[in-house]
Amino acid sequence: MSDKTVLYVEDNEFNLKMVRQLLARTAYRLIEATDGEQGVATALKEVPDLILMDIQLPKLSGLDATRRLRADPKTAAIPIIVITSFALSGDDQKAKDAGATAYMAKPYSPRELLQTIRKLLPEQ
Amino acid sequence: MSQQEVPLPGGVLPTAPAPAGWEERIARFLLTRTPLGSLVRWVAGIKASVHAKLLAGFLLVTLLVIGMGVMNLQTIAKMTSQGQLLDEAHERVHWSQDIQHALAMQMNFTAMALLLKSEATVENILRENNRFNNTLARLEKAAPPEEVELIQRIRTAQGEALTTVADIANLVRDGKVDEAMRLQQNKQYPLYRRIEDFVSQLVERERNQMDRLRASVVAANRKTLILMGSSATALILLALLLGFVISWSFILPVQNAHGFLSEVAKGNFAATINVPNRDEFGALASHMNHMSQELHRLSEDQHRASLELQRLNEQLQQASKAKSNFLANMSHELRTPMNAILGFVEMMLDEIYGEVPPHLREPLMDVQTNGKHLLRLINDVLDLSKIEAGRMELVLAEYSVQDVVETVRASLQSLALEKGLQFEAAVGNDIPLALGDGKRIMQCLMNLVGNALKFSKQGSVAVGVEQQGENLLYRVSDTGIGIPKEELENIFVEFQQLDTAITREFSGTGLGLNITKKFVEMHGGRIWVESELGKGSTFFFSIPLRVNHVETT
Repeated sequence: MSDKTVLYVEDNEFNLKMVRQLLARTAYRLIEATDGEQGVATALKEVPDLILMDIQLPKLSGLDATRRLRADPKTAAIPIIVITSFALSGDDQKAKDAGATAYMAKPYSPRELLQTIRKLLPEQ
Repeated sequence: MSQQEVPLPGGVLPTAPAPAGWEERIARFLLTRTPLGSLVRWVAGIKASVHAKLLAGFLLVTLLVIGMGVMNLQTIAKMTSQGQLLDEAHERVHWSQDIQHALAMQMNFTAMALLLKSEATVENILRENNRFNNTLARLEKAAPPEEVELIQRIRTAQGEALTTVADIANLVRDGKVDEAMRLQQNKQYPLYRRIEDFVSQLVERERNQMDRLRASVVAANRKTLILMGSSATALILLALLLGFVISWSFILPVQNAHGFLSEVAKGNFAATINVPNRDEFGALASHMNHMSQELHRLSEDQHRASLELQRLNEQLQQASKAKSNFLANMSHELRTPMNAILGFVEMMLDEIYGEVPPHLREPLMDVQTNGKHLLRLINDVLDLSKIEAGRMELVLAEYSVQDVVETVRASLQSLALEKGLQFEAAVGNDIPLALGDGKRIMQCLMNLVGNALKFSKQGSVAVGVEQQGENLLYRVSDTGIGIPKEELENIFVEFQQLDTAITREFSGTGLGLNITKKFVEMHGGRIWVESELGKGSTFFFSIPLRVNHVETT
């Protein structure tokens, strides 16, 4: 196993749990962070292969965290999927502007999320 | 001066409506510079009705005209009688001259009798004597008392003269001509001279009398003329004065009322009208003041009420905005647990947790269906609340109409297949790139097509887009249950579905059409529907191909 690392920055424990269980049967290794600042710190420390970033986070918003990671050469090239809120108009544009590789509207389908992750980061 | 600039006057001088003509200026001069102003005020202040005042004015003038007529008749009668007197005087002068003439003829014939020694001439003398006596008698009958004595004397002298003539005639017959001539010389001639003197006096008197009479007639005529002229002038002046005073005592309150009402019409309900009249105009003015007070009170009330309403409205708007903001902010909070619910169910159904026992699969799918429905509701409610809070903004960009239609077709194709419906989407390749919020247009089309598929049990659903000049016409037609005529107007109103039974069967949110309508209108377009109950409906919306500015909802 190649042991590809996915970082999920999300403050809701059930969503974390869901993704944890979703990836449990895959080859991906999941690491977690529950606020924006912790997310940035973990990313810089662990340098994951892909990041799932919720848009609304305590301490530091997902967009700001994305911008910081893009600004740092260590993390600048990591694919980031920003999880947006459908109803907030222009969220997807904001996510793109902040440097997101892709975005998914909440609530997302776990199946589609996994497909997107696989597209950006092949499992094998 | 214009009535707008002048405050409402309390007294005689009101504002003049319309530019004043010369007659108006004269009237105003008379009212301000002469005692006529106070007279007008006095007449206005008389406690009597307008009718009584007018009647009194007309009656006064009429009575004066009648009086003048009577006076004129009297004058005419007097002048006629004076004319008669003058005629009589003239006749008496004529008679006295006749007497003079008869006397001269008598003297003449007497002289002739002596010269011709003819008795026949005596006849002529007697005839002239008769004429003399007759005329004298007539004159005496009409003579004033002071003349009677003179006439008596003339008659006595004439009697004496006639006796002398008889004597002379006898002497001539007897041939005593010389004696006769002496008698004539000594007695008759002086006698005639005396009579002549008397008669001359008589003529003189009659003539004088006539002259006096004529002079008095002339004087009386002049007096009458002056009297009549001056009384006519006085009457005319009085009539003018009465007319002026009475009419201005009515015009002034009317002008006051005019000024007052125009103030009221301008919204100055605090204006008051003050007229000195104690007639109908006075009553009218007091009613107007009452009206103005009432209007003032109502306007104050209304002002207070409108302020209160405005305050309440602001409160409401704030509350409504706060509510919408709250809802919009709730968006993410609501989606996060929805994400977990739908995600876990999908993962269970995808058998990530292992095989799903057959008897649990259906309830799990029910959870999923209802979860998705709840999500749609949340999305629609949030969209609507954002639109109403004015926080919904269109993101204008170029988009491909063909892509929009294709995405909708691809998303809903499976639903159509499931229901066994024909599903066609036709859009011309020649439609150029459009400018607008492609995502929202797609949402609109998705709503309409979703509805069409939902409400059709068999048949087909067709989507078409045409370019019509500067506009795009989207059309979604179905062979569904249709919409009754009376419902056509309501279907774009939020939470309006045909009835609750249909809502249960077709599980819509009831918000889709309303949101669609709002997005279309934000694009500067319009939406409408044609439908026949039982045969299907066709929804149309038309938006500009290129939206240049966004309408706020």
